[in-house]
Amino acid sequence: MDLSFYAQLLLNGIVIGVIYALVAMGLSLIFGVLEIVNFAHGEFYMLASMLAYFLTAHWSFDYWTTIVVVTAVGLAVGYVLFEGLLLALRGEAFERSILLTMGLSMVLQNGAVFLFTTTPRMIETPLSYQNVQLGEVRLPVARLYALILGVAAFAALYLILHHTRLGKAMRGVAQNRAAAMMVGIDTRVVSRLAVAIGIGLSGLAGAALAPIYSVHPLMGFAFVFKAFAIIIIGGLGNVSGAAIAAVMLGVIESFAGGLLPLAMTDAVAFIAMIAVLLLRPQGLFGRGVRV
Amino acid sequence: MSRRGLLLAVIAGLVALFAVPLLTDNDYVLALGISFAAMSVLAGGLNLVWGYTGLLSFAQVGFFGIGAYAAVLLVVDLGWSLWAAVAAGAALSVAVALLVGYSSLRLSRHAFAIVSLSFALLCAIVARDWPDLTRGSMGIPGLPPPTLTLPGLRWRIVDPADFYYLLMGFAVIAHGLIYVVVTSRLGRAMRAIKLNEPLAQSQGVNPLSYRLLALSLSAALSGVVGGLFVFYLTIIDPSIFDFYYTETMLISVVIGGPGSFWGVLASSAVMAALPDLLRFTTDLRMVLYGVALIAAMLVFPGGIGGWLYRRRLARWRRPQSQLQPQPPQPKAAP
Repeated sequence: MDLSFYAQLLLNGIVIGVIYALVAMGLSLIFGVLEIVNFAHGEFYMLASMLAYFLTAHWSFDYWTTIVVVTAVGLAVGYVLFEGLLLALRGEAFERSILLTMGLSMVLQNGAVFLFTTTPRMIETPLSYQNVQLGEVRLPVARLYALILGVAAFAALYLILHHTRLGKAMRGVAQNRAAAMMVGIDTRVVSRLAVAIGIGLSGLAGAALAPIYSVHPLMGFAFVFKAFAIIIIGGLGNVSGAAIAAVMLGVIESFAGGLLPLAMTDAVAFIAMIAVLLLRPQGLFGRGVRV
Repeated sequence: MSRRGLLLAVIAGLVALFAVPLLTDNDYVLALGISFAAMSVLAGGLNLVWGYTGLLSFAQVGFFGIGAYAAVLLVVDLGWSLWAAVAAGAALSVAVALLVGYSSLRLSRHAFAIVSLSFALLCAIVARDWPDLTRGSMGIPGLPPPTLTLPGLRWRIVDPADFYYLLMGFAVIAHGLIYVVVTSRLGRAMRAIKLNEPLAQSQGVNPLSYRLLALSLSAALSGVVGGLFVFYLTIIDPSIFDFYYTETMLISVVIGGPGSFWGVLASSAVMAALPDLLRFTTDLRMVLYGVALIAAMLVFPGGIGGWLYRRRLARWRRPQSQLQPQPPQPKAAP
């Protein structure tokens, strides 16, 4: 239990936290703009991983092409999801949106189980066995790339939200939909973009994680559970808060995994969520700037 | 239906239900009945929480499973009697329900939905990853047939018919309790909260306490059903927290109509028989349930109960002219 052990735990935690952030930021963005909790979010992440697996294993796409293709497919799927299903929910009670996305999640997850079975699949790429050595700490290249992609995606999303007209429109809709409509913002375009970006980020996360963990149809369910905890900890609808909370959770989980029994590790996210709700219900970063 | 007619229908239905084990010893029929008894209480609990107080809860399966695990561990490991073990399991479920409900309702109903789902998933994960307590994913097979002791009576519950009486008896008590609650002042306050929370609040109704009450009652009922049902299954493993139960409950309530006592009861009877009707497509059953949920949300949000209610409203609103022909009224000036 020397220093390099803790450094390794910290590094692993940051990498997994950045991947959590990709999924949680999309979830938070969709909630902020549409007031819809997308319960099917984890399934899109799972499908993206599946797609990445098939692209790499069967059509021998290389790493970067896979990332680009899967992310693009994710954006397109988000577009279709909004136009096909979520548009029908505008201005409706939130139960309908939850049950609709829950039904979608059931269809996607069990459909994937039916088609691909629950057998975990591993992607074998040249990257799988390469490591970067930093002193005594080792970082697999696939994880390094995931880290870089995650940070880049966060930076891009931050720039879009804060420095483009479209991003400002998105934040406007998130703050006050009626007022945004009154000043001439097309909420349909903005909402569609938010969903596309959200699902696209899930796609990116799925593709980036596929070479690190095994891929199977039930992976999304366990993952979205953490993403939910993250968006509550970070403050519902707060994208930057979600990103920070995600990295924090990744690090805490990584240390818990190294030092505590397994059942405790799983419970960390839930305990943190309940603690935040009891002590600071608006989330650690709530009430500041939304989205 | 008049009050008297309803009462007669209920009594006739109860007599018919309790006569089933006398008329047939067909295990298949009894199994359907047992599954109906258990699932209808779960669906009734969800209906109480969601249909009456407007909290969409995914945590019900957690209460069910916690009740089951607590009862099994207390009976098998500590040798408690079934009565005490089931009661303790229900109490544990209620305590957990209060924690989940109180913490998340401080924020919003959205937060409640999210936290309740996380809670249900966490239960399954902990049951799997805490082998010292739960024996992990292997579970505890071969549960002994439980014995119920009352003064002057020792009832060893072995046959399906015994379980049928046990679970159906509890289901009748549970639905009776739910019915009493939803038709009382409590039920009216709950409905008021669901329809318009700020208005209910302005009339002095505290939404949090009514919601926690509904949640605790449903947790207690689900916990008891879990504790009884698991001895019928004779095995407990993390699949007691399976999402399948949640989906069956949700569909029962959605199709029956949230907030409709009889609608949910009827649809849970259908849902108890449905898995066997869909046997030809076991693998795709969950996909079909998902499609049913999406379709219901898009085109049929109120369920059967909501549809009947709208029809009744429409009948009340039907213009008098259809009953007694009247000359058309001149339009009032704007």
